[in-house]
Amino acid sequence: MSVNDEALMSAVREGDLAQLGPLFDRYHVPLFDFLSRMTGNRHVAEDLVQEVFLRVLKYRATYREGARFGTWIFSIARNVRADYFSHRETAVPLSDEVLEAPDDSPGPEGETEMESESGRLRAALMRLREDRRELLILARYQCLKHETIAELLGIDTNTVKVRVHRALKELRDIFLQMTERPSCDVKTSQRNLLII
Amino acid sequence: MRCKDISAQFADYLAGSLGEREREALESHVRSCPGCQEELSQASRTWRLLGDIPGDPPDSRAMRARFDTLLAEAVRDQGRAGPPLAPRGLIGEWLRRHAPVQPLLQGCAALLVLLVGIQVGRGIKPPPSPEVHELSQEVRDLRQMVTLSLMQQQSASERLKGVSWSNQLDRPGDEVVTALIDTLMHDSNVNVRLASIDALKRFADRDAVREAAVHALGTQKSPLVQMALIDFVVETREHSALETLRKLSMDSTVNEAVRTRAAWGVDHLGATA
Repeated sequence: MSVNDEALMSAVREGDLAQLGPLFDRYHVPLFDFLSRMTGNRHVAEDLVQEVFLRVLKYRATYREGARFGTWIFSIARNVRADYFSHRETAVPLSDEVLEAPDDSPGPEGETEMESESGRLRAALMRLREDRRELLILARYQCLKHETIAELLGIDTNTVKVRVHRALKELRDIFLQMTERPSCDVKTSQRNLLII
Repeated sequence: MRCKDISAQFADYLAGSLGEREREALESHVRSCPGCQEELSQASRTWRLLGDIPGDPPDSRAMRARFDTLLAEAVRDQGRAGPPLAPRGLIGEWLRRHAPVQPLLQGCAALLVLLVGIQVGRGIKPPPSPEVHELSQEVRDLRQMVTLSLMQQQSASERLKGVSWSNQLDRPGDEVVTALIDTLMHDSNVNVRLASIDALKRFADRDAVREAAVHALGTQKSPLVQMALIDFVVETREHSALETLRKLSMDSTVNEAVRTRAAWGVDHLGATA
């Protein structure tokens, strides 16, 4: 029978650092997914996951007995991500950066990422207000319960539910705006390249 | 049920966390209310489309290798430093224990520290200016970046160059060690893998490096690489490699020279055990 996360973390706190290995195996994928969707950059996300575990080691003494490990490590991940953005020298708006990021090489059906529904929604998600995006990512991809998200964000569970609904509406609005002007940025830039 | 109450339950409905009764009540309301029906339909569609956005696949193997390096260092530091303490707590604790309480004694202690400081200050060279320090740090970072970038190249000769560059780095970071381990494990070119073994010798005091060498010894198929790894584990007296060496020495599918060398390694390591 596998040892639960909290028992492993308690052992790490008491100095048995090797117990962090199984916790890395269990959590590096969801943390990577969260950070990669939040930053829009997988390489940055890989670095940030290492930083999360570095902080777990560094601040292991602050882990409270009985506290839910998943919530604790995700709160560290949120801080790591916030620090990453606050320390970046050039404050490039994330939405612009990510709109340039998708791979626009033709897919199997000759359809570019930006032209596909899912690609446009991904871009719309990156244009969404950061706190709303975080909420949707936690609820949709990490499949965290509303109670857990509330604990993580330090807000009321009902507030989480209302905000998820609102975030979905805002995302849909951005998505529709982008659909009305389909991938103009990419098309224009491609045309410009041809002219040059 | 009012429309406002219904829309407050949409998040639970989409997440599948509504109880059966609440779900039925919601669906019944939605059937009779075009406004809520439209809203739920759009929310469901967005929710579903969100689920279709694929995530980037993590490179778990490389991430685990980096993590192992991190953990090995933490374990080693733990042996030296004891349990973690916040810096403020550490200094505060030291002062509480050692600082004299009497004002006169405190004054004398401060004067003593000042005099010692002046004396020491005269005796040592002035430290380099922050700009010089920053510049040399930048040069180090740049060299490291070039090394890592070369190791990712398509061309084997470029990767080989990257591995050689790592030898010239003054104090290479963990990323370089991890990249070297990754090269040893996965590079398609034998020469590059061989060069990575040489480069890793500098870091043989790290547990992660020795563990990687033992692991590679069990998986690598090239006789040249196997021989180099046998020498590596014998030189570093890595006794955990004994079992793998024994297997190699008895495996009839393995190159004869490698088998002989492995048997030599068993004798050698066994003798120093």
